[in-house]
Amino acid sequence: MIGEFIDGPLWYFSLTAFVIGVVWRIVSIVRAGVRPDLSIARGSAGRGAMRAIFSRFVPERTVTTSSRLQLIAGYMFHVGLLILLFFAQPHIDFIAERITGLSWPAVPHWVFIVAAEFSFAGLILLWLHRVLNPVTRLLSDMDDHIGSILVFLVMLTGCLALAQSHEALRLIHLFLAEVFLIYFPFSKLMHAFTFVMSRGYTGATMGRKGVNA
Amino acid sequence: MSEQFEQGVAVLRDQIDARISSYLSSCVHCGICAEACLFYTETNDPRYTPIHKVEPLKKLWQVENTFWGKLGKSLGLIKPLTESDFADWEQLVYDSCTLCGRCSMVCPVGNDITYMIRKIREGFSVAGYAPDGMKEATKRALTIGSPMGVTFKTVQAALAHVEKDTGLKIPIDQQNAEYMTLFSSMEIVNFPEYIESIAKIFDAAGVSWTISSQAFEATNSGIQIGNKEAAAELVGRVVKAAESLGVKYVVSPECGHAYTAIRWEGPNLIGRPYDFEVVHILELLDKLKAEGRIKLEGKDDTPMTLHDPCQIVRRGGVVDPPRNLLHSVADHFTEMTDHGVMNWCCGGGGGVSANERAEELRIKSFDRKKHQLEELGVNTMVTACANCRIILEEGLEHHEMDTEVISLTELLAEHLVSGKTPN
Amino acid sequence: MSMPATDKTASQRLSVFGLCLLAVCLLLFSPLVDAEEKSARELPGVKVFNPAAELWRDVRQREAPVSGKTQVGGVETGVLINATGDRWRQFRMDELIPVGGYVIGAIIVLLLIFYMVRGRVPIEGGASDRKLPRYTTYERMVHWFIASVFLFLAITGLILLFGRPMLIPLFGKEGFSIIASACKEGHNLMGPLFLLALVMVFFQFVRRNIYQKGDLTWLLRGGGIIGKKHVPSNFFNMGEKTMFWLLVFVGSLIGISGLVLVFPVLGLGREFMALAHVGHAIGALLMIAVIIGHIYIGTVGMEGAIEGMKTGYCDLNWAKEHHDLWATKAIDQGEAMSNEAVASLNGEKTSTAPPGATIQGAGK
Repeated sequence: MIGEFIDGPLWYFSLTAFVIGVVWRIVSIVRAGVRPDLSIARGSAGRGAMRAIFSRFVPERTVTTSSRLQLIAGYMFHVGLLILLFFAQPHIDFIAERITGLSWPAVPHWVFIVAAEFSFAGLILLWLHRVLNPVTRLLSDMDDHIGSILVFLVMLTGCLALAQSHEALRLIHLFLAEVFLIYFPFSKLMHAFTFVMSRGYTGATMGRKGVNA
Repeated sequence: MSEQFEQGVAVLRDQIDARISSYLSSCVHCGICAEACLFYTETNDPRYTPIHKVEPLKKLWQVENTFWGKLGKSLGLIKPLTESDFADWEQLVYDSCTLCGRCSMVCPVGNDITYMIRKIREGFSVAGYAPDGMKEATKRALTIGSPMGVTFKTVQAALAHVEKDTGLKIPIDQQNAEYMTLFSSMEIVNFPEYIESIAKIFDAAGVSWTISSQAFEATNSGIQIGNKEAAAELVGRVVKAAESLGVKYVVSPECGHAYTAIRWEGPNLIGRPYDFEVVHILELLDKLKAEGRIKLEGKDDTPMTLHDPCQIVRRGGVVDPPRNLLHSVADHFTEMTDHGVMNWCCGGGGGVSANERAEELRIKSFDRKKHQLEELGVNTMVTACANCRIILEEGLEHHEMDTEVISLTELLAEHLVSGKTPN
Repeated sequence: MSMPATDKTASQRLSVFGLCLLAVCLLLFSPLVDAEEKSARELPGVKVFNPAAELWRDVRQREAPVSGKTQVGGVETGVLINATGDRWRQFRMDELIPVGGYVIGAIIVLLLIFYMVRGRVPIEGGASDRKLPRYTTYERMVHWFIASVFLFLAITGLILLFGRPMLIPLFGKEGFSIIASACKEGHNLMGPLFLLALVMVFFQFVRRNIYQKGDLTWLLRGGGIIGKKHVPSNFFNMGEKTMFWLLVFVGSLIGISGLVLVFPVLGLGREFMALAHVGHAIGALLMIAVIIGHIYIGTVGMEGAIEGMKTGYCDLNWAKEHHDLWATKAIDQGEAMSNEAVASLNGEKTSTAPPGATIQGAGK
């Protein structure tokens, strides 16, 4: 019964909460509005925005030495997570069955496992950095920790269920994923969507001034 | 809770637009901005982390705009913004930020942190939490017309000297001149050579220019302290003078924040576009040189490097002109490792130089520039901002370094082929 | 003689004959049954040809090495039944699990007794007002990285090893099968991270862990644990250095044998796998025992010991008492900092104090 609830109603509820929440957050940011800039532009705001959205994937040289480990761990975690979230066979099957009806080619199992290894190493190191580095320790709040721990738990239960032989393990993984989805729009996890906006706004401002940001 | 504080909070609330909302939603507290800030790199004090400086703004946003914040507030778990938050953050917001914008260049999610610090100052200044030095400078700017208390009489005296030295007539209040030139008080008081240089160059290039007796001051303390009304008033004076003289261009001098104020913030402060255009003196010189209206002769053998003023280069977008110009007169121009839009600030921008309280920290943060110079091994530093120049000289003096700081415009004037070009 | 009488007698005789015949039959065949039962228990003096037994012997390949032929490519696919497997199984069930369990239990009991006798080792001079920087952020990250991975692997590993006797009674067979499956997958996935962490730890700490003069004195005087006197030591003392090298060597053994076990495709035979498992388990039990001691010192055993790994700075008096040679050198080099300066560098200072007031002595 609890299994059916997790597998059925709760899944649809959390997915709905996630979608509505994310859209609501983005709309409320956009609705806050930006005052039109009356100064004469030197360069193109649109091009600046596009540029910044992509250029910020590559770190500035000035921080690459001091933040090396953080940057490497950051890439390991995010790229790994992206692969295992969207290109692992069980996830593709689940998405195809429950949401889109479409499936796409999965990465081979070993790539999936390697991605998981990278992702775990990255996440653990990033969280350790968060609590051990004086700067991040000062900045971090509950939200940062809850977000990190939730992602970790979802990933961990996912890896515990890798054998795909026990329904209970799959349900625990699914349940945590649902909690994650519900928590997402209320939290800093939103950066997965809003980073495009903040990069865009900054890029546009800088682009108008003729600065490559 | 005082009424003034309430007003400050209201102003702060007003600053939260889509940009700031997206920035605060995106920040994952990675702390990478710390490594871009010279106040952090030179002290290792985590409180100087740029994003930490906007904590009061973040708190306000959280309590009023986020689910957990609203919930926490209604349950009494989260305290709303208090006056002590302002008191605690005043020094972080004013003393340890030069608005240099370096942090905004490295943020992985692209947050313009400097913009937020600039905006948080709006609330702080209204609430009365601003350094005395900056408050007084702003008051002087509003009442006397210059943050350093320079009156037009002082300007006239300086101009008389220039006229005597150069034998040129300095046009004042010339109706329908093409260019109206502004100065910073620092130039009038400490670097009259700058005025001399542009007089010579404009004469050689046959530029029709003028100085307005109504608005000669380019600096804008309102921008630095973060007070929209004061800033708008100061910009408004320039706009009024320029439009009544009917000039086509207003020339922003070798001063960093003056350029940002008049070029980028000005129209938004007064709420309308100008009838004229704003150019930075380096942009103008670069243009005149490209058009062949000024001819330069001889190249300096001395190894030179360029200190990019933040507000002109990184925050202003005048990136190539200073390089083109310096290359045309210097044979041995080498860049510092971090240059152009990634330069390191002198440590005195954003009003920090007007804030006596911040001096110890400012001197400490100069270690970064010192390190850069020692790494490069060049003893002549060219720059294009009177404030940078003063701050750099102070820092060099403090460390007893024999590095010379020179103005790019003055350097060009020295290499000018004298006499009018046939035009 | 009358016929009816004869008839009667005839029928009686017939029955007697029948019974006798049955008895003879039984007597006749009974030694044969006996003999067969005997041959099953002990080898008979005379081999009686039995095709089934021959086949069985061939299948087991008890004496001879692998001799089967197969179309299936792969390691030892010609082996139908691994005779040594049972030896491994018996070792695991009868020796490894009980003995391993006692060892871990004994360590804990010993530490409890030790704690009751010795108590918490205090900083004798009390906490001072100055600190020494001991570990960088990166060093602490690496430490806690290997620590968290180790703990995860230790817990899942112990569950896999001791789960049968200890958890089945608690969760039942069904429940334990879920736990065991989860632990196996988790253990296998996280395993390689331990090797990564080990490499990071090795390169970060190896220089300070090379044995030096004075280390032996430390050992001979029992590291100051026995008796009340502190023994001078370098950045790391002999005990820490030994633990480091144990971690490096035994840890590598655990990690590599673990890889062998996770990837049965490496071309190694069953016996090698059994060996890898035994090595993996014994090595891991040893390291777990050592790490329990390590955790004991860091948490309840000694005042101030964990501070450096937590905050990056250690108390000056603690450093003098436990790492005297290093502390003296660090103090000479002017590395000592006031508690306020450390608090400021850790962002713990209240923000009402003027910024930059405690910036002297700042350094990465």
